[in-house]
Amino acid sequence: MKENIVKSLRALFPFLSVIFLWRLSIPFWNPGGILAIIPIFYCTFIKPTPWFMPFGLIFSFLLDYNLGALCYWTALYCLCYALNGFQSFIDVQHRDFNSIDMFMLYIGLGLVFFVIANLNWTTFGRTIWLFIYMSVLYMPITRMINRVKNDR
Amino acid sequence: MIEKSTSSKMLTLIKSAIAAAVLPVLFIYIMIAKPDYRIMNRLAHIVLPVANVVGDIITWPVRVVGNTIADIHELSILRSENAELRVRLDEAMTRNNACDIAIAENDSLVRQIGMARQIPHRTIIADVIHDNRTLHHNTFIINRGKADGVDSGMVVVSPSNQFAGVVIDAGENFARVRSVTDSETNIAIHIAGYEVYGFLTGNASRTPTVGLFSDPQFKPAKDLTLVTSGISGVLPSGIFVGKMKNSTDVDVLQPGRLSRVIVLKFDTALEYR
Repeated sequence: MKENIVKSLRALFPFLSVIFLWRLSIPFWNPGGILAIIPIFYCTFIKPTPWFMPFGLIFSFLLDYNLGALCYWTALYCLCYALNGFQSFIDVQHRDFNSIDMFMLYIGLGLVFFVIANLNWTTFGRTIWLFIYMSVLYMPITRMINRVKNDR
Repeated sequence: MIEKSTSSKMLTLIKSAIAAAVLPVLFIYIMIAKPDYRIMNRLAHIVLPVANVVGDIITWPVRVVGNTIADIHELSILRSENAELRVRLDEAMTRNNACDIAIAENDSLVRQIGMARQIPHRTIIADVIHDNRTLHHNTFIINRGKADGVDSGMVVVSPSNQFAGVVIDAGENFARVRSVTDSETNIAIHIAGYEVYGFLTGNASRTPTVGLFSDPQFKPAKDLTLVTSGISGVLPSGIFVGKMKNSTDVDVLQPGRLSRVIVLKFDTALEYR
């Protein structure tokens, strides 16, 4: 019984972490729940988790709703999912530091195209801040997911 | 090169093809569903409350700690605030009589010059439950929705009657408000005391800018008061928006300061987009 609960919680942890980060949205530290992109990215592209793709799609959509971004992050998620599936040249799953370079590319391009139409000093500063902040938080969050999965 | 079995490769390709197929659907939808994106908003009205409930259950310990800290902080400032409020109440009581006279005089003057001012026929008090300030988007979510009479296009003001934003989407029990600092805000304003009109444009910073004045000779200056103009019937006239900080920037209400707002329903001809 106890083992079953622990096993279920382990399996649910990536999903719960997305909901947790999305719900705890605070301006500046986690605007619109944007930190949820970290587990969404990691559990979709780096450590694929069964049934995570539709879940990631829903939360990308909810993120778009919070950010007033129509379908931007949803479309980006689908685009990267399709590109990643069709290509076999880059092994995105087995790179150093939990493939942080791939995440930085994803979030960097995502943020740049998101703000490019409304670029001014304020949005530029916020973009740089979010890029650095999310890149720094990527490792602790992904390591925590790995630890819970007992995959050190 | 990534080595994979044939069946796994096929499955990956099928899933990728499905994801790729979603993209043109999204793009076509964005192009044809403009400007109200009804399907997307209706979908959000179902998914968002469910996700919020699950999120509330998962995050309750964090929110309890956060609320406790906020409550302690609030309690610590209540005493000094109370003393200050007592002093201000005494001052206000002495001014009350003068105000009554001024109101009567104002009503008389308004009747004399035939000035029309729109008065809301319905007001709804709501709490801000989500602050979604990020990058160039400044929106917030309130805890009143269609069930309470809130609908798209309604005006949102602070308890001190300063313009806070416009409802852009209303769910059953929540509504999303575009704040005055959002980069998509573009409202017609009137410079109080002058026959000059212009447009206030949000740029995601703390100070939206004002421009496109009806009188090209007009020189905007610090401390000029801006109110909504009611031009084009999109927003009602006479709502206090903010004060000029310099020739272009306007000191407006910051959405981060809002915890409670008032939603006003006016009889406007057009809906705000």
